[in-house]
Amino acid sequence: MQDSSENTTEHAGAGLYQSRFEHDACGFGMFVQLDDQPQRRLVDAALEALNRLTHRGAIAPDGLTGDGCGILLRKPKAYLRALALESAIALGERFASGLVFVDPNNPAPALAALTACLHSEGLTAVDFREVPTDHSAIGAQAKLSVPAVRQLYVSAPASMLEERFERALFIARRKAELALAADNYFYVVSLSQHSFGYKGMVMPSALKLFFPDLQRPDLAASAVLFHQRFSTNTLPQWRLAHPFRVLAHNGEINSIEGNRSWMRARGAILQSPVLDFRALQPVVSMHGSDSQSLDNMLEALLLGGLDLLCAIRILLPPAWRDDETLSDDARAFYEYFSLPMEPWDGPAGLVMLDQRFAACCLDRNGLRPARWLLTRDRVLAVASEAGVFDVPARDIIKKGRLGPSEMLAVDFRSGELLNSLAIDSINAARAPFGKWLREGVKNVISDLVDPNLAAEPFPNQLLAQFQRTFGLTREERDSVLKVLAEAEVEATGSMGDDTPMAVLSHKPRSLYDYFRQAFAQVTNPPIDSLREHGVMSLVTPLGAEGNVFELDAKHARMVVLNSPILSQRKLRQLVLMPELVGPAQKGYGLLDLYYAPELGLQAAIKNLCVQAEALVQGGVVLLLLSDRYPKPGLLPVHALMATGAIHAHLIAAGLRCQCNLLVETGSARDSHHFACLIGFGATAVYPYLAYQTLYALKAAHAIHASVGDERQLGRSYRRGIRKGLLKIIAKMGISTIDSYRGAQLFEIVGLQTEVVNLCFPHTVSRVGGADFAMLQADQAKLSAEALPSAPGVSNINQQLDAGGLLKFVQGGEYHAYNPDVINTLQEAVRSGDYAIYQRYAEHVDSRSPAMLRDLLAIKPMRAPISIDEVEPEAMLLKRFDSAGMSLGALSPEAHEALAIAMNRLGARSNSGEGGEDPARYGTEKSSKIKQVASGRFGVTAEYLINAEVLQIKIAQGAKPGEGGQLPGHKVDALIARLRFAKPGIGLISPPPHHDIYSIEDLAQLIFDLKEINPAALVSVKLVSHAGVGTIAAGVAKCYADLITISGYDGGTGASPLSSIKYAGTPWELGLAETQQTLRRNGLRGRVRVQTDGGLKTGLDVLKAAALGAESFGFGTAPMVALGCKYLRICHLNNCATGIATQHPQLRKQFFTGLPEMVENYFRFIVRDVRERMAALGIRSIEELVGRTDLLAQTAGQTPKQRGLDLSPLLSEAGLIEASRSCVRPDNPPHDQAELAKRMLADTQLAIEQKLGGTFSYTVQNHNRSLGARLSGAIARKHGNYGMRDAPITLKLRGSAGQSLGVWNAGGLHIELEGEANDYVGKGMADGKIVVYPPADAGFIARDAAIIGNTCLYGATGGELYAAGLAGERFAVRNSGATAVVEGVGAHCCEYMTGGVVLVLGRTGLNFGAGFTGGFAYVLDVERDFVDRYNHELIDITRVSPESLENHVQHLDRLIGAHIKATGSAWAKTIAADFRAYLPKFWLVKPNAASLQSLIETLKRAA
Amino acid sequence: MSQKDPFAFFKIPRKMPTILPVTVRVLAHHEIYGSYDQEAAGEQSARCLDCGNPYCEWKCPVHNRIPEWLKLVEEGKIFEAADLSYSTNPLPEICGRVCPQDRLCEGACTLNIGPNMSAVSIGAVEKYISDTAIAQGWRPNMAGVIKIGKRVAIVGAGPAGLSCADGLIRGGAEVTVFDRQPEIGGLLTFGIPGFKLEKSVVQQRRSLLEEMGVRFQLGVEIDAGAFAALYQEYDAVYLALGTYTAKQQLGIDTASAGVYPALDYLVRNAYDLLAIKTAEPAIDLRGLRVVVLGGGDTAMDCNRTAVRQGAAKVTCAYRRDEQAMPGSRREVANAKEEGVQFQFNVQPMGLQYQDGKLVGVQVLETRLGLPDQRGRRSAEVIPGSERVIAADAVLVAFGFDPSPPDWLAQHGIALHSDGRVQVHSERFSTSAVGIYAGGDMVRGSDLVVTAVFEGREAAKAILAELTAASKPSDIQQAA
Repeated sequence: MQDSSENTTEHAGAGLYQSRFEHDACGFGMFVQLDDQPQRRLVDAALEALNRLTHRGAIAPDGLTGDGCGILLRKPKAYLRALALESAIALGERFASGLVFVDPNNPAPALAALTACLHSEGLTAVDFREVPTDHSAIGAQAKLSVPAVRQLYVSAPASMLEERFERALFIARRKAELALAADNYFYVVSLSQHSFGYKGMVMPSALKLFFPDLQRPDLAASAVLFHQRFSTNTLPQWRLAHPFRVLAHNGEINSIEGNRSWMRARGAILQSPVLDFRALQPVVSMHGSDSQSLDNMLEALLLGGLDLLCAIRILLPPAWRDDETLSDDARAFYEYFSLPMEPWDGPAGLVMLDQRFAACCLDRNGLRPARWLLTRDRVLAVASEAGVFDVPARDIIKKGRLGPSEMLAVDFRSGELLNSLAIDSINAARAPFGKWLREGVKNVISDLVDPNLAAEPFPNQLLAQFQRTFGLTREERDSVLKVLAEAEVEATGSMGDDTPMAVLSHKPRSLYDYFRQAFAQVTNPPIDSLREHGVMSLVTPLGAEGNVFELDAKHARMVVLNSPILSQRKLRQLVLMPELVGPAQKGYGLLDLYYAPELGLQAAIKNLCVQAEALVQGGVVLLLLSDRYPKPGLLPVHALMATGAIHAHLIAAGLRCQCNLLVETGSARDSHHFACLIGFGATAVYPYLAYQTLYALKAAHAIHASVGDERQLGRSYRRGIRKGLLKIIAKMGISTIDSYRGAQLFEIVGLQTEVVNLCFPHTVSRVGGADFAMLQADQAKLSAEALPSAPGVSNINQQLDAGGLLKFVQGGEYHAYNPDVINTLQEAVRSGDYAIYQRYAEHVDSRSPAMLRDLLAIKPMRAPISIDEVEPEAMLLKRFDSAGMSLGALSPEAHEALAIAMNRLGARSNSGEGGEDPARYGTEKSSKIKQVASGRFGVTAEYLINAEVLQIKIAQGAKPGEGGQLPGHKVDALIARLRFAKPGIGLISPPPHHDIYSIEDLAQLIFDLKEINPAALVSVKLVSHAGVGTIAAGVAKCYADLITISGYDGGTGASPLSSIKYAGTPWELGLAETQQTLRRNGLRGRVRVQTDGGLKTGLDVLKAAALGAESFGFGTAPMVALGCKYLRICHLNNCATGIATQHPQLRKQFFTGLPEMVENYFRFIVRDVRERMAALGIRSIEELVGRTDLLAQTAGQTPKQRGLDLSPLLSEAGLIEASRSCVRPDNPPHDQAELAKRMLADTQLAIEQKLGGTFSYTVQNHNRSLGARLSGAIARKHGNYGMRDAPITLKLRGSAGQSLGVWNAGGLHIELEGEANDYVGKGMADGKIVVYPPADAGFIARDAAIIGNTCLYGATGGELYAAGLAGERFAVRNSGATAVVEGVGAHCCEYMTGGVVLVLGRTGLNFGAGFTGGFAYVLDVERDFVDRYNHELIDITRVSPESLENHVQHLDRLIGAHIKATGSAWAKTIAADFRAYLPKFWLVKPNAASLQSLIETLKRAA
Repeated sequence: MSQKDPFAFFKIPRKMPTILPVTVRVLAHHEIYGSYDQEAAGEQSARCLDCGNPYCEWKCPVHNRIPEWLKLVEEGKIFEAADLSYSTNPLPEICGRVCPQDRLCEGACTLNIGPNMSAVSIGAVEKYISDTAIAQGWRPNMAGVIKIGKRVAIVGAGPAGLSCADGLIRGGAEVTVFDRQPEIGGLLTFGIPGFKLEKSVVQQRRSLLEEMGVRFQLGVEIDAGAFAALYQEYDAVYLALGTYTAKQQLGIDTASAGVYPALDYLVRNAYDLLAIKTAEPAIDLRGLRVVVLGGGDTAMDCNRTAVRQGAAKVTCAYRRDEQAMPGSRREVANAKEEGVQFQFNVQPMGLQYQDGKLVGVQVLETRLGLPDQRGRRSAEVIPGSERVIAADAVLVAFGFDPSPPDWLAQHGIALHSDGRVQVHSERFSTSAVGIYAGGDMVRGSDLVVTAVFEGREAAKAILAELTAASKPSDIQQAA
């Protein structure tokens, strides 16, 4: 959930923090009595559940202020009447009530205004009861903003119908909100006849203390929603606690900006037959939190006449397009409503309550956990975790978990419990959607071959002129366009982007270069668009949008494109389609982007907006923005500026939904360009210049299709772009292009406010930069130079420019690692000559400003001091880390040389994401920082205990939002062994950590790490982007000890080019924002801050320190010291310096690096730092950290540089905390893990002396990461496998908290009677985990959820037996564990590379995506597994006794082991009739693996 | 697309084109290197790693787009490669032959880090591109040239002058090149021996330039009067007169019998080979013991020419060690192969005569002293180490100083104290309006490719000023 501010330009003088960057996540749930019987115990249970979910919330530094919690009750009528009676309030039969927050010092005006609004709707505010509150129950921070609370009673005339009353309440409230917009206290918690809410910024345990009313025994309700909030920020607001009026939300709406704008755009047409919203605009709040906006939206749909089952399915549809298991009618329902409403996309667990239903549902990807159970006395309990509702197992008749997009609803009218299927049937029956769509929707067939690419090819000279006008270089043509068309994927590159941000460049740069893609980190997950492709969609409808409240065949009249990237043929088809350009629409509207320079760019754009408005007013549906027809002397408006401005203008005019913006432009060529255009409102894009360029390449025989047929290069190009586009939207956690369109998910670096306000309103842009005149001058230069010939200019200049953005080219863009820099650095470290280092530093420090820091100068702190007064070398060296670079990306020689050097220096090296050879543990070759990244390669108990720092790599500077890549040819036997992978098979880490889908998940992972290695510090690596400071604040509240902020210029071994170029921002911005946000929230003293990204010299170090870093990461520079020449071929395994290769000969013959070279480099840096400190009068880094007052902005060299305003980086406004740096040794968690400590004490002797033994405990859901302490102790003493023969058995009963058996080591056996939550056996290396239900359970075990999501994630060995169902992503990234479960959720065995999984029951969708090693057996009784597995990499074979004798025996053994471990009744049934069940089993294996090889594996294992 | 083998660079060894065996090549003055065939050129080009930092391009004084044209050669696209090669270097076939690649592009090549990993053979490929393209009919593309109606005179048809002529003609100027020699090329023709650069190559370039519209007036001595006329007649004049004054050293008097300045020797030999009749015949060293003083490329040219003339013994004496030699390693190696004896660390002190006939060079041994400001270690003589190297003839190749004609001063063209012409670093303009200068006479004697670079840049600057002057106002700047 994001808080958003109305005002996007709030930065002036206030630093980099903006309140809209806030996020949160939570624990949530609901308890419902199906027969609508109000019960006090449900209220008690909800308050207790909140308590047990405390670890999912966060606590402010004052230790008492929670981020917010609350409950929403269904019709506590008797209670409300009793309260009224006590206050002598007379109520009629029909009344509504709700809490109102008001200004404690002056409540009267708000109450009066509300009363008046109610009155104007024909209602009577009967009274405002003063609600007792106990301020001793809340923390100091909460007290600062605590409101007075009044309980409002409203009555309606008897003649007013129930529904009319409810709408009148809504209208009155909405009007009051508009009238009281300036009153920061005024807020209506709820106001309804049907529900009544309490909430506040209190700890869960304090809710009923703060509101003593909650303790009244007569408070009974038949349904209670509850929610506990974790905000990344410690300035949460009372009003933003959940539940809202209709829902409580755990998750984050990634597409919120787009959804809000579209709702604003719909404002003018949003009318229901029963309610006219036009006077109530905006219906959806444009600020507050995303959850609040979603609540507004849902409430509006409900009051407009839709019922809850329909409304929520419109807002959060499943991934219906590719789901083969969905009925045609249901799909038609979803498709029909996809036309007038884009999905509200992002992770979501929702509980909702209205007058008829209580419901719960998840997003399409199942990114939040929700477990449920049904009791014998018909209470439905749903919560984030199992174990928050106390009920004996014998009284539970059903148990489950919600899967992706699953929904459960209680219909109070009938008392029925509805599941997804039932809800789909109800929805599908609302109208003949299928028929309407068949008649109304016209699909434009895109797969027609377009053999010409361009029907009218440009002659060469004209083509060159276009190319030069739009800045297309040979480099882009050959490295970007050509590769896309040849291989249908983006080109891969290596190393980082070492060029300046566009605004700093001396060259005219593409406008798109000013836009940095947003990406998800921590508070929401990116989507794995490769392996979870099924949820993704680029389908784009065209036509005027219908009214969501009207069910009518006419709203199904739409033209549907399968992607927004148009071919020439498709564009021509569109502009001829009667549906779009018929007489009613008056053809299409052409907006020519060329303008006369003397008019000026700004005026030209405004003209376009006016023209667009007039055209749409006149009925035009298709607007075509085109720069395809140049005119002599005129300049093109950049298509992105035009698109953004027109889109924004049409939204403001309420016209955007009546039209579509097609963009015909030469400026769009790579996937980022398309993402920008669509992200700022384009409906579809026709990139004619890309096609024309490809056509010319084809004509010159300079391009050859490597996929398909050369006539289809255009199609191949589009496929490549589509993949890139999916990657970009997935990076932000968005799955459909509809949700991405207009969502403005970018940060602008380097545009002036005038440009942002006109063209890209509400987009984050914090440091100013280029204005219209400068952008116009750039284009004028390009256009002038593009002319075919000019007098006095050599005709050689008519060739395309060489380029130079990707690689260094003489005369091209500046590169920070240019040959001068590389050569002098290498000469310096090889000779050990400081004078040569100084020449190197001169190249860096005196470059023309290329990075933001180059525009900052350091002022002296004092008069110069003697160098002896500066802190010694050894102290400084401790502040230096090498950045994470994996063994795999690097050769063992290079990786070890780096580790040795850092260890000898007393600094720290970082293992990167690829494990470490156990032979290195305990030697000087061991890395002190061990990285934990999303692939979890080689992460075992032993790995984790051999570290001083455990770093969670959330994102990497070169490719934030994406996982690391290791091409197959770099996976040799050693690398495969360390990563538990298969030699020769490429490894692409998932974009998300599958155990971090939200901030509280990160807290859990940090807790896991601190449990296994209590001595280690935990570090979290983030990438700089708008809002990173707020995320860092959240990370600090997750109890991380260290935070690293990486700049966009970090390096990489392999990554798609557009990822290297367009994501992440300079670390200067991220670091300054982090420093400010932490200090704003009183968190800075708790956590150490590091920065990395292109640090090269002592001056860089000092500037980073002044901006707030207390330690410094170096990635590329030490590599260069070892001999890296910045070849950018790391991904090819042919590194000619022997560094980034596994090729034995190259490593042997070409690697010349020595640890001493790295040592020399760091010693040079330290000397440089110390000499500068002496000159500046600074005694220690500590003194300098965060002293932004010592930085001053220097004059830029270009107009754009001079247009930058870096004062927000230096601002100290609003920073409440005195400390500028960390003052504590570590950041210990609130949860003391008492039970785990007891377990360790009990077993200490057994571990030390390798005695083994059995120990019993009762557990609850808040006992998290159980076993980890023991595994850590075992690994420290005996390694991963050393205690196998003397196992310790933990016998547990109850509901275990998250991460049971995490990083389990050999010799630890955990047996749990009861149930467990998410992450069971995560990272397990060895040992055994068994989970089974109590013998007297009232439910059928094989139908009941017993373990949560993401179990066995990254396991490398061991066994898991669970007698029941597992959640989503079971055994994701498993590379060695053996597991038996009785059913699984979606994405089971995702990206598995080893191990065996037996599923004795149904699987969810997308089984085995990215599965390249190990194998699985699946029992397919329903015979629908074929529709449920991912066909890309695996094949399935029947397990027949004839051909697969070994497998039959193996399967039999596994079932036997499961029975022995769990006593599973279902397994016994199967075993008893094994021959009959055998034909129903599938053997699932990677299609690259032969059956024979599997049998060999079995034999070896036997 | 042909998926190129990323390991080509070390699977395929570096291979130069065939080289004439020593026994054959010393018999005449022809080029000793053969050419690649298409296959070999492609294979050798494929060794390029296409580095993120193209050190070759960075090191190259004209910044040839080397990785790009190597790729085109690999793909067999010779005309495209020629276009690209030509876009940065107007004389690629010449630079491909005479550049010291081992100190420039090939020396900087990422692969140049050890015996088994030798650099891509960039020079040979450069030569292959031009030779092959021109033989197949490729010609410089003159499309799109707009005549600007301005006339430029270039004095000096050496590399700087030719390079400037090429640039000017492509920018639409009318160009006439004057030279006192009867052939174009300057040192390319008269200094560099045919075994490095076949005379026909320069003549071929002459016809290409003439086809493009460049006019040559050869055999014309530009004296004060002639220059004044040119200055009157043309819109601009570009001077590229080179450096021809041999550096002198105490004790080695080039006027003495049996002692010849290197350039005299080489030029007269060139006349002989071109069958140009002159007053002074070629210096014939057949059967003599020859000592060449100096360690640069000119010294090597002398050594090897003497070998070809049939000298009895050729000794090259250099005052520093082999590492410190300024010339191309390749040429030193060739000289050694051809039988030249090297004596390092010897400082010539005087000449020894017997009966008026030269019999030897007196030398002192040297050792390397402390580095100077530029990091180069000076040679210090070791007292008492005198000895004599027997010699019937001595060729002096200590380098060259500028030879500024007197009329420069008459036109107010300012000189540096060492005689080099002062020019604006970007505009190449001298202190006299409309007079530009470049090449060795500005920079001091330097590489051919440096002169090419300066000529190219001067052409741009001259065009800019010629067209700016013709524009009615400052519209450009205002826009």
